[in-house]
Amino acid sequence: MRALLLALVATVTLQAQPRSHTFTLPNGLRVVHLEDRERPLVRVSLLLRVLPSDTPPGRPGLALLAGRMLTGPGGPRTEAMDRELEAAGIRLDTTSAPEGLTWKLAARNREQDRAMGLLAELVLRPILNPQHLAACRADCLRDLFKPGANPADRLRETLAWDPADRPTEASLLAIGPEDLGTFQQRVFRPERATLILHGDLGPEQAKRLVILNFGSWPAGASAVVPAAADTPKALPAQPVLLPRSGPALRIQALAPIVGDLRPESLALLSLLVPGDPALAPLRATWEGTGLALTLDTPAAGGREAWALFFGRLATLAQRGFTPMDLDRARRSWSAARSLEALDPEAQLAQALATLAGQTPTREALGALTLKDLNADLRLWLDPSRLRVGAVGPAGTLETLAIP
Amino acid sequence: MRLLVSALFATLALTAQVPRLTDVQERRLTNGVRVLLVERRGLPAFHASLVFRGGRAEEPTALAGATDLLARILYASTWPEDLEGGRPQVALDALLKQEEGLLESLRLERLRELRTPGADSHRAALEAGLAAVQARLQEHLSPSPLADLLRAQGGRQSAEATADALVARMDLPVEAFQAWCRNEGQRLRTLQLSRFSGARAALVADLRDKAEPGPALVLGAALPGHPYGRDLADHLPTVEALRWSDLRAYARRSLSPERLTVILVGGLSLAQVLPDLEKHLGTLPIPLDREEPPLPEIQASLGDRRVQATLGSTPRLLTGWRIPPRSHPDHLPLQMAAQLLGGGSASRLPSHLVRQKTLAREVVLRMDLPGGRQAGLLLVELEPAPGHSLAELEAALHSEILKVQQEPIAPAAWSRALAQLEVDHLRTLDEPARLAWALGRAWAEGGDWRLLDLELQRLRTLAPETVQAAARAWLQPSHRTTARLEPSVADAQDPLEAEMSRVLLALAAHRVEDLAQREHLVAEGLRQLRMLSPDERRRTLKLLEAQLPPAKR
Repeated sequence: MRALLLALVATVTLQAQPRSHTFTLPNGLRVVHLEDRERPLVRVSLLLRVLPSDTPPGRPGLALLAGRMLTGPGGPRTEAMDRELEAAGIRLDTTSAPEGLTWKLAARNREQDRAMGLLAELVLRPILNPQHLAACRADCLRDLFKPGANPADRLRETLAWDPADRPTEASLLAIGPEDLGTFQQRVFRPERATLILHGDLGPEQAKRLVILNFGSWPAGASAVVPAAADTPKALPAQPVLLPRSGPALRIQALAPIVGDLRPESLALLSLLVPGDPALAPLRATWEGTGLALTLDTPAAGGREAWALFFGRLATLAQRGFTPMDLDRARRSWSAARSLEALDPEAQLAQALATLAGQTPTREALGALTLKDLNADLRLWLDPSRLRVGAVGPAGTLETLAIP
Repeated sequence: MRLLVSALFATLALTAQVPRLTDVQERRLTNGVRVLLVERRGLPAFHASLVFRGGRAEEPTALAGATDLLARILYASTWPEDLEGGRPQVALDALLKQEEGLLESLRLERLRELRTPGADSHRAALEAGLAAVQARLQEHLSPSPLADLLRAQGGRQSAEATADALVARMDLPVEAFQAWCRNEGQRLRTLQLSRFSGARAALVADLRDKAEPGPALVLGAALPGHPYGRDLADHLPTVEALRWSDLRAYARRSLSPERLTVILVGGLSLAQVLPDLEKHLGTLPIPLDREEPPLPEIQASLGDRRVQATLGSTPRLLTGWRIPPRSHPDHLPLQMAAQLLGGGSASRLPSHLVRQKTLAREVVLRMDLPGGRQAGLLLVELEPAPGHSLAELEAALHSEILKVQQEPIAPAAWSRALAQLEVDHLRTLDEPARLAWALGRAWAEGGDWRLLDLELQRLRTLAPETVQAAARAWLQPSHRTTARLEPSVADAQDPLEAEMSRVLLALAAHRVEDLAQREHLVAEGLRQLRMLSPDERRRTLKLLEAQLPPAKR
């Protein structure tokens, strides 16, 4: 009896910690199941990876346009489907980002079958309808170039793109139905997808749901195209300069995450760099896709501000971090792992990142040397790798130049 | 023993049912601090929200921006130097006082320079003095971001100023609870605000680049003279003139124990947390000046108000109705009406205006803007589809509102709206930070955290006729404010007109408080000026600029 009691108490205690199971379907679909019986709720996230090689030369913006066609009016999500989703209380969002297309749903556990069925319907039968190409392209152009929008917002959005991949009006206009067809064939394949299930369903139930809804998804005829090496691309010498009226100048840079930086260095640098006094008066914020650096200053001293901006970065890169910093960052990173338990969405994101090999392991963190960390810092803050821009009075912008 | 086993089985079985908020435990500390605890056994971490009732709405005009600054300085980080008492604090205080004096002198000197160009300037000397003091100040400040006590323990924190509250949010491993409690007590005792100057400059820069001016315009026109209608971007000079000691004095009054609710969600029990909470937060002094500032009442029937402006990058129609506060019996029926109107892609406005009639490109609906403690707005924002005018869209919106008020609500639409609200509630219960904020918001806006649960129960028993009656009573023309926003003049690529618009706006902001009237004046001024030749316009611009206060030229 005592053993039974202990087991029950342990069960109650363990309820809050999701148990994880991973499996792969014969068609190549990778599945992670995080069991969490605390509430009658199920969350599902499906990521379809988009690789740089999916975009042929001269077609930057293809993935963006495809994403728009999947999510916008005229896409596969019909009004009847929306009614069905909402009647069942299912929240389903689709987002398109450079790394891929993501579907996220949340539903009450009693609606899990219907929710998974509708998700499969959207993913397995995507309709990139050429009839809506022109309207979706116009939407993309409008969102990208937003005439009259706040210049500071436009700068931030522009810097988010790798200059080599940034869509232009010409590249979007060049995309035709056949490009979209090829994109669909290449990307919408189970071996490109990762499915994460979280919440009130057991392992057998999860497996049943996945096989029932995604088991018939045919694998691609050829092997997965390997990702193109994510090496830094040549950047244009000129920064993005956007004029605006008023007495203030904003200089901004994004230090993107690129493949030659160690994940464990990035994990620690994202803790060490934002807020480092050596950067003041620059503001540094970690944004998931990179480090955003901002300097707001009166427009009068544009050239000095420009020099100060790059001077501060050089100072930090040159100074680097100490063994004590490394040790503190390691401890902080390790302690922060427990916080994932507070956020189911973070658990889904973490599971995805782990599968993609983007999460550093404790072993790799332990093995990281101070020399490696500082070398990666210098690489990350190298001015030739930064995406830089400024907004301010036209007269001030004319005086700026990359040092 | 058998009883105990049955009880445990019952506990397990209950977790499978729709959860209720019965697991919130409430206590009051000696000095009035409220504590709400939601125990999540087995979680290795906890979320803490500190909700101070008040927020932007209670700021005196002379201290506009104070809540935002407190959110940024006091609760964005946890530096050891901000928690130390005794001698180090005295030294830091002295330097911050010096910095305050120099910042103020420099601000006045810049204004003097603008007023009398060419006069002798002390600016360089003041800047050098300030740099020297800031260098000394820097010696007292932590040299690494990981000196931040919370980050060092793996924690994260953020803070937000809303119309009704200042909210600080923190996530930490369970082992760090005791240290967290000590730090929070010390933070509120010391109120050091050591990063004042940097945070004030950052707030000013962010306000200059404010991304979404449309709703602020409607709020100003719909709630004239009320703090809910205040746009902080119109108070930049006040923010720039805000001083460290003024902010500190304001913090002592506004962050008092009886205004604070601490909400904890995570792997902590009441027995575990209460002694530390009582020791560190329960002993915070109660300020002598405890009077809550009276907020002016908002009249719902101010008449049908209209604003026309050139703003933003796309044409937009914003229509807001003044609705009652959250504590009002009609608030919940209006929440259901909002859900029926714009709560999902298949709800009335997206379905009819975007999909079927293709009049609109996008519909956004927001409730309780900017807050729910006082009468706020139910705001519908529409972007016209290509080839359709704002006037068409406005007529279509009014027609849809009339239908909600008069035509029977389809049972399918009703059950869809209810299902969406129920699943949202479930998600709220599932996410500690979201749950803490929902509880805090219910308390700050409605006076009782139990509203979170009560509202869902009442929603389930609500009748469609009640919703329609509330829609008829509140979504009517006399409660309405409409803003028609045409794309900004900057879009026309005419720098002269853009500059003219800026100067006119600044002049109007200086003299006319009512935003609706202000926008009308500016639009009218621009229309008149477009009739002049470019040379005449340039000359007029110079004349108008000369009337501006120096800081705004």
